[in-house]
Amino acid sequence: MEEIIIYEPDSRKKVGLFKTWTIFFRNSLRFRELILEVFKRDFVAVYKKSLFGVGWIILSPLIGVVSWVFMNATGILSPGDVGIPYPAYVLLGTSIWGLFMGFYSSAAETLAAGAGFILQVKYPHEVLLMKQTAQHLANFLLSFLLSVLVLLLFGVVPSWKILFFPILILPLFFLGAGIGLIISVIKVVALDFQKGFDLFLGLVIFITPIIYSQDVNNELLRRIVRWNPLTYLVGGTRDLIIYGYMDHWPGFIFSAVLSLAVFIFAGHFFFVSEQKVVERMI
Amino acid sequence: MDSDVIIQAEGLHKKFCRSLRGGMFYGLKDVFSGLAGLPDECGTLRKNEFWAVQDVNFQVRRGEAFGIVGINGSGKSTLLRLLAGIFPPDKGKIAVRGRIGALIAVGAGFHPHMSGRENIFLNGTIMGMSRQEIGDKLEDIIRFADIGLFIDSPVASYSSGMRVRLGFSIAIHAPISILLADEILAVGDVFFRKKCFEKILEMKKNGLSILFVSHSNQSLESLCERGTLLHNGSQVFLGDIRTCVKRYMDLIGDENKKKGIEEMEGMPRSNVGVGNVQFSNILVYQEGKDKNNSDVEYGQNILIEFNYRFLKKTSNDYQLRLGFKTHEGQNIQKFYFHESPFLDGYVYQNEKIISLQKEGRCVARILNPKLFPQTLRLDISIKSMRMSVHEGGISNSAVFRIVEPKKEKMYFEYGFGSITEFDYEIQSLE
Repeated sequence: MEEIIIYEPDSRKKVGLFKTWTIFFRNSLRFRELILEVFKRDFVAVYKKSLFGVGWIILSPLIGVVSWVFMNATGILSPGDVGIPYPAYVLLGTSIWGLFMGFYSSAAETLAAGAGFILQVKYPHEVLLMKQTAQHLANFLLSFLLSVLVLLLFGVVPSWKILFFPILILPLFFLGAGIGLIISVIKVVALDFQKGFDLFLGLVIFITPIIYSQDVNNELLRRIVRWNPLTYLVGGTRDLIIYGYMDHWPGFIFSAVLSLAVFIFAGHFFFVSEQKVVERMI
Repeated sequence: MDSDVIIQAEGLHKKFCRSLRGGMFYGLKDVFSGLAGLPDECGTLRKNEFWAVQDVNFQVRRGEAFGIVGINGSGKSTLLRLLAGIFPPDKGKIAVRGRIGALIAVGAGFHPHMSGRENIFLNGTIMGMSRQEIGDKLEDIIRFADIGLFIDSPVASYSSGMRVRLGFSIAIHAPISILLADEILAVGDVFFRKKCFEKILEMKKNGLSILFVSHSNQSLESLCERGTLLHNGSQVFLGDIRTCVKRYMDLIGDENKKKGIEEMEGMPRSNVGVGNVQFSNILVYQEGKDKNNSDVEYGQNILIEFNYRFLKKTSNDYQLRLGFKTHEGQNIQKFYFHESPFLDGYVYQNEKIISLQKEGRCVARILNPKLFPQTLRLDISIKSMRMSVHEGGISNSAVFRIVEPKKEKMYFEYGFGSITEFDYEIQSLE
């Protein structure tokens, strides 16, 4: 006997926080081919009209590498007291920061990624978060590998703890994707929220020790930096790769738990609220 | 739910907002009130909102085809989206048993730069097929779409008909038990429409249930058993398809009559010429039918009756002109009747000889016209050929309708109809 599906107003409100996540996992597994096909469409098909094709995915970060090496050679960026060549320090920090921003901005397009068919076909909208994240990671991976190459060129040999990188970035994913999922729903009816958050996160980089070291002189800034979870999530990850240790393990753990909480809540928010906005995706 | 019922809609409601900003504001409000755990305002209309679907109830059984009929904007597509689970209802309940394939727009998610073949996989997975299923049916899909070598060209280079062919072909090869089809047959060419129609009939025989939105009475009547008529979101009728279509035709009649009057105001009867002739009692009707009914069935002879009166009839070289115009005012056919053979005894093709009195009643008979079902207007005038002067006439003198025949016809017949094939004669002159 086939399953009977019931559609009622606000049926999703009754679904509990953790039930949401079992639904998400089940759907992501069941719709893995949809995730893959749409990933292919958006990742590969973009380059169909270019002669160089997918080569661009490598070329762009490669140019970035050249510019970093150039800057180091000319001494534009004066080395600070970070224990390693300053450009390498900044490059790795901004690379991890970019990873976080990418998690956020790609998750914020979760609903929009299905814009071509969302009003024609029923599918679980949350599965496109996987596709968005995969697309971001695929782009990131190449640029990250090249960043590591630059580190080696600077004479910085990453700690063996770089092997933990995939686990260390999970909190960044939770936090970025969590905020992104919420924005993804709200931006359908109020684009202001996305614009505002983009601006806000663009400023957060200045209160995160990425382009400067954590030991700043200004007392106020030092306090803000200490309370900023990204200090631990981005800076801690970078430190572990470069120096092989992390200054504030408790801060990292605490921020990671916080990020997970944000993500769990955001998933539930997405599940309940997206129904109210899909019809307004015009 | 009875195990034979595959779709059941109870007291279904859906509302939309007329203004963009208003809709966005309500959406934001709904999201945050949901977040705060406040009761939502699904069930009531707020300012600027309206019911796009209001209190719709029906059941569809396994293997049954159910027609959804109504004029543009009556809520048909919204209803389909509710049934497909794309929109949640604002009130009421839907229960669905089985796998739904929704053909609300063909080719959902097509990427213009990917080839037809690549898009089959993309669109197929979006329609809920697995790669395995698509791979197994790839050849069937390509064969049914029948777009030749274009299958390996980018979809951007396709004509709209080719896109529809490919999209439709993918959709009907999905393993579904319920098909929601929104006016899909209206787009392809006659041959493809016929093929699709036969395919749908075959799938129906194999137990597929169909919810079918269409404006073609023939398609509806030959496919569906039952149907519902929507008007302004409300359910006006639910029952057997013939009655449903008839009620729809009555409704269009009403709408058209309203429209006819409105447009007559916008493009009113107007006198032409010098006013030497006056016309009155103008009637257009189907031969052998009630003279006061201006509905003419497709393919039936049209009679045009009117009185004419010359103030002064000075010669015998008058020409009577009758003209059919579309509702929009475009001329589609003119009929000429001459008192004297025009220019040295030469009579043009499609011109007839008559003789006019000073005063009389004229009956013109248009034989075997192949005019599409539509609303038409009639122009009448009389011209003096020697003087080259319009003696008098009335443009937009009458409005009449060509309606679809009641007898059963193949649904695609009009595709071959020509509007210029006709014969005519002038009948009696008093």
